[in-house]
Amino acid sequence: MQGPLIDTLVRQGVSRRTFLKYCATLASMMALPPTAGRAMAEALAAARRPSVIWLPFQECTGCTESMTRSHSPTLEGMIFDMVSLDYHETLMAAAGHQAEDALHAAMKDNAGKYLLIVDGSVPLGIDGAYSCIAGRTNVDLLKEAAAGAAAIVAMGSCAAFGGIPKAKPNPTGAVAISDIVKDKPIVNVPGCPPIPVVMTGVLAHYLTFGRLPDLDDKLRPTAFYGETIHDRCYRRPFYDQGKFARTFDDEGARRGWCLFELGCKGPVTHNACATTKWNGGTSWPVESGHGCLGCSEPDFWDAGGFYKALSMPADPLKMGTAAAAVGAVAGVAVSVANRAKKHRAQASHETTTLADLEK
Amino acid sequence: MSATLEKGLHALREVIDAPIASYFSSCVHCGLCADACLFHTETGDPRYTPIYKLEPLRRVYEQEYTVLGRVKKLVGLAKPVDDAMLDAWQELVYDSCTMCGRCSLVCPVGNDIVYMVRKLREGMAASGHTPDGIRSATRRTVEIGGPMGLKWPAVANVLRKAEEATGLKIPVDQPGADYLVLLSSMEIVNYPEYIEALAKIFHKAGLTFTVSSDAFEATNAGIQIGVSDLARTIVTRIVEAAERLQVKHVLSPECGHAYMAIRWEGPNLIGRPFRFEVVHVLELLDELRRKGVLKMKDTFKDPLILHDPCQIVRRGGVLDAPEQLIRQVADNYIPVVDQQKWNWCCGGGGGASAIHTEEAEALRAKAFQVKKRQIESAGVDTMVTFCANCRIVIEEAFDHYQMDTKLLGLTELLAEHLED
Repeated sequence: MQGPLIDTLVRQGVSRRTFLKYCATLASMMALPPTAGRAMAEALAAARRPSVIWLPFQECTGCTESMTRSHSPTLEGMIFDMVSLDYHETLMAAAGHQAEDALHAAMKDNAGKYLLIVDGSVPLGIDGAYSCIAGRTNVDLLKEAAAGAAAIVAMGSCAAFGGIPKAKPNPTGAVAISDIVKDKPIVNVPGCPPIPVVMTGVLAHYLTFGRLPDLDDKLRPTAFYGETIHDRCYRRPFYDQGKFARTFDDEGARRGWCLFELGCKGPVTHNACATTKWNGGTSWPVESGHGCLGCSEPDFWDAGGFYKALSMPADPLKMGTAAAAVGAVAGVAVSVANRAKKHRAQASHETTTLADLEK
Repeated sequence: MSATLEKGLHALREVIDAPIASYFSSCVHCGLCADACLFHTETGDPRYTPIYKLEPLRRVYEQEYTVLGRVKKLVGLAKPVDDAMLDAWQELVYDSCTMCGRCSLVCPVGNDIVYMVRKLREGMAASGHTPDGIRSATRRTVEIGGPMGLKWPAVANVLRKAEEATGLKIPVDQPGADYLVLLSSMEIVNYPEYIEALAKIFHKAGLTFTVSSDAFEATNAGIQIGVSDLARTIVTRIVEAAERLQVKHVLSPECGHAYMAIRWEGPNLIGRPFRFEVVHVLELLDELRRKGVLKMKDTFKDPLILHDPCQIVRRGGVLDAPEQLIRQVADNYIPVVDQQKWNWCCGGGGGASAIHTEEAEALRAKAFQVKKRQIESAGVDTMVTFCANCRIVIEEAFDHYQMDTKLLGLTELLAEHLED
């Protein structure tokens, strides 16, 4: 499929108007100025399909499942289809030497221009032998593919932060892409799996403006990861009122109160779930009654248990009583010592006479 | 036996009590007390900041009674109080502190600084860091009976002269009298007219009074030097005489610290309440005024201001009587800005007037400038007060500055204009 993207979309029955709406929505979601929607639409409509090479390493294919299955046939899915996916083991029909040839051809033809998407972490243990494709280790493949890439997108928490393979005790010595590749622009799109629209949003931004979107200190696009789940959660008012569900079937849970005490990691998790939702806007974890796992944060698997509250509100009275007790004991001890000293001084008082005034 | 540093420190450990602990721990170092002290305002010397004068006491408190201070002492970080320090502080604790209590009044956290000065003097005295003048006044009071070494025959002589001048009997050692009249040596020697005035007023009011031959002296140098044992000895004479003569009241003379000594320190020194009531002479006069006994035949015409002695007004609590009485007798009484409890000290209270070193006298003269300004800004030639010690200090200062301001005693002024 060659030619501008818009022609492909029109052939698939997407109207120009729908496409514009989509671009405007995408622009607003990424906090771009209103004019950016039209610019984006024009750029995207005219864009040539960029070559994309997708390398899977230590992963569960969940990210790919998320991209391809859950939202088909939405616009994101179609745009995603429209990139020239030149290599993707799971999706491509080719296998064996044929597939490897395709990979090398794409890398050669589009040297310096292709977008490298990686999902899965890279094992470094026993010289990378834990995960090999065509007899070559992941780390070797990554270095080769990264060398000719314009930019790299680390899809999912495994590629971005090491994810579950890196969870303690990390038997394979898994690391994130950014631990290996240091000389290319990298965008982390964490999540287990990540939200599809985030992927297409990054892609659209790249195609429209020719550069990667603004990133935070963990290389995540700030447009999607700038705020916490907690900041945008529809249950936030209950948190502010101190109304918490204490079990999954109590009155609070039924009334839809805050899941903080049931271990929700929303307050420390940066992601767009609360605003974009999942499955075409159907729902998202908190809406379905379960706390956020924090899957888009580094080492979320080792963050102390999914059902353990981030912190329990202190019981001020209990603390106060303990503090008062400690203070009282210390005070009494000091006072007893001081009294004894003063009484000793008074007991040993020698009456001062006139003679005592002279030196 | 003699004064030693160890005795001084022992005395300080002994006097530090809950109020002192709370005062030192609540001091916020605001420095307001500095501007309340006439020695600081008139010299600008920061060493005269009242709370700083307490540094030896504060150090002992910190090192003996606080956890942090004890740790500091243990690891050798604490500066100990030594003889050199106490020697340096003698001037701050005696020469430049009249225990006027203005600092206590302004303290925003309510620290009674003068209470602590009084306590610190216990340690200063026990360690031998006291001015010669106060020490010899104390010696005379304990050994002879009064700070000026006055003996009863001399007093009896003065009383006899007063009897002659007034034609009224001054009873001596008369049991069951309404009032046991105490005098201060300064009144006996310098202002005998006070005794005459008193005799006239008692006669007029129809009250009985007596003077005790073994407890005529009201002043208490033991308090000024800061030795409670001696102060107790001195005050016990009065208590014993009053209780033996079974008087209803003991009349404190005008003298400020005598009133403080007998009224406020007295019961604490002997450790029990008195079986008589202590009344300041102005309280008695004001009571007579309210009863209409104190009728004036004429009034004093010259414009005048009042000097409120610290120990009677600010620290003694006799707040309103002086002004009421002066208005009774004076036509042109001019209230000054720092009046009543805000009044400025004469500069010689708390024993300071007994210190006759060149430095102490120069300092007193300097401190008097605040009083001088009060007189000058009021534009008067007459000042009235009611404390024999204030009178001596002020007259010395008038002499020093060659001022021809007249200084009058309130009781005498009233007596002079009393209806016959």
